[in-house]
Amino acid sequence: MANGFFTDTTLCIGCKACEVACKQWNELPSDGLAFTGMSYDNTLRLSGTTWRHVAFVEDREVGTTIVNRWSMMSDVCKHCTHAGCMEACPTGAIIRNEFGDVYIQPDVCNGCGYCVPSCPFGVVDLIEPFKPSAAKAAEYNTATLDRERLSEGALQSHGGIAGKCTLCYDRQRLGFTPACAKACPTESIQFGNVDDLKARARKRVERLRERGVDAQLYGVDETTSVGDLNAFFLLTQPPEHYNLPARPVLPSTHQPAGYAAAALAAAALAVAGLAIFRGR
Amino acid sequence: MLAHPPSPDDAFTGAAGRRDNEPGPSYFEQPLLKRPHWGWNVITYLFLGGIMGGTGLITMLAGRSSIPADRRLSRTAKFASLALAAINPPLLISHLGRPERFLNMLRIVKFKSPMSLGVWGLVLYSGAAGGNVLYELAEMRVAPRWLRIFAPPVLEPLQALLGAFTAGYTGVLISATAIPLWAKGKRHIPALSVCSGLAGACALNTILAIVSGNDEPVERLERLEAVAALAELTLLADFRRHAGALGKPMFEGKRGRRLRDFTAIGGIAIPLLLNVMGAVLPMPKSLRNARSVAASALTLLGGYVLRETFIEAGKTSAGDPHAAFRQPE
Ligand code: SF4
Ligand code: SF4
Repeated sequence: MANGFFTDTTLCIGCKACEVACKQWNELPSDGLAFTGMSYDNTLRLSGTTWRHVAFVEDREVGTTIVNRWSMMSDVCKHCTHAGCMEACPTGAIIRNEFGDVYIQPDVCNGCGYCVPSCPFGVVDLIEPFKPSAAKAAEYNTATLDRERLSEGALQSHGGIAGKCTLCYDRQRLGFTPACAKACPTESIQFGNVDDLKARARKRVERLRERGVDAQLYGVDETTSVGDLNAFFLLTQPPEHYNLPARPVLPSTHQPAGYAAAALAAAALAVAGLAIFRGR
Repeated sequence: MLAHPPSPDDAFTGAAGRRDNEPGPSYFEQPLLKRPHWGWNVITYLFLGGIMGGTGLITMLAGRSSIPADRRLSRTAKFASLALAAINPPLLISHLGRPERFLNMLRIVKFKSPMSLGVWGLVLYSGAAGGNVLYELAEMRVAPRWLRIFAPPVLEPLQALLGAFTAGYTGVLISATAIPLWAKGKRHIPALSVCSGLAGACALNTILAIVSGNDEPVERLERLEAVAALAELTLLADFRRHAGALGKPMFEGKRGRRLRDFTAIGGIAIPLLLNVMGAVLPMPKSLRNARSVAASALTLLGGYVLRETFIEAGKTSAGDPHAAFRQPE
């Protein structure tokens, strides 16, 4: 049975503890700091080295009515039932691990980049290759010498590979809760068995609706080709507000039509060629 | 560093505080999808891989013909296939984030992944082309005679089949993604890759035939090229219609003009015109050959620009959240 996340946006206070905890545990470098002016979101997106991203949806409807809503959502890899990244990966680096999660084996990935456009949620990205300075490398090596798990880490391979949320594969193996869920002070991020989480989420939606909140689940009972998401969300606004596609499409569903079209074109041209080269 | 610096207008208006001309809600107009990382080396591979595949078809067509000049053409095509098969792996390896792990591609065969199938297609194609070249070397008495076990009646059709696959799979590879423009072209892009690959192969082999002093089959190559190029032009026009607003990054603006000038006009229409001229107008042989070489060079340039447009327009398409929210089924 799969383990996953239930991220309840109505509980999120935008403290970014999950972002920080993820960076800390996974030793992910900073992506740079810049003031964006987009509410309190200076992170903007998930990346190869940012595996939790708190979106700030700060609405100010200028018109007859001024509605002041502010919601936050901690975005993450969805660990899809049918994962585009995993299907595309030519090396088999991306696997579904024993916890039912989509995991990139950092020692297998060769950085071909095919998973990047194959994720319908724009989650996974390549980590820039980098060479630490000699001093940094030494410092880094002494700091991590005794920690076995790090031989798999993105940093050890000095980039050049794809990166995304591992659902704290290493912590799960130790019996720990993933870093983000552990750090979340409001339980906006809940970790556990996906079926249990779904049952809990459905109850939560019911209760919110009774209170007049327009709550809906994203990634549960989906009819899309991607299927249900092992990391699913409770939203109060349309998915696009949080930069989520309303109906994601599994890219591999385009393949049969593509191969058929290519075969048809090749067959037609071959017939023409046979007529031209033996037509006498 | 931020790849998309915000404009002052975006500040504090939030997702719902949008202006009237915006096509729907979004998250501060931030891109949903990540841009593909592929650059010149992948573009060149798509281009040369298509030509390599098309050359495989020519190997069979000319090789199975009863005309001696065609068989000489087939021999040239076999050597060209092997040369192209040797150029492609370095291009593919150089685009990897970890080039030293290239061989990880060969640790599995994955039918769901066009990239995995494509690498295996490339390996098998190289094998077929190698076998065909060994046969020719034996025929030329450069290699031992027993190497003629690589019988052309078997290996030439095999190379043609694998060639069709290597020319077409690249189109499937890019259209089986979430990039709206590419996904919208799930039929057009693979078919275009095959047609453009064969047109480019005809062009390359025309040049090689003329250079090697075997210009008798050029007329047939040009007729085949005309068929492929006409199909390519038709598909391009139909893709433009089919893609609608999603086709904007490919067919409009600077990139659209480049595609029109170098591919539609320079790479298809003008070579077609030159080919028709060569067929109907009497002209001395040297002029006829010069015309063929010029038409072929233009066709090749057009083929490269087509691949470049696919990749670069795909990057633009990835940056448009509204296109990405409505993912083509
Ligand atoms: S959200 Fe994207 S990266 Fe995560 S499992 Fe799904 S396809 Fe893969
Ligand atoms: S970049 Fe790595 S994980 Fe992504 S598809 Fe290529 S080999 Fe697989």
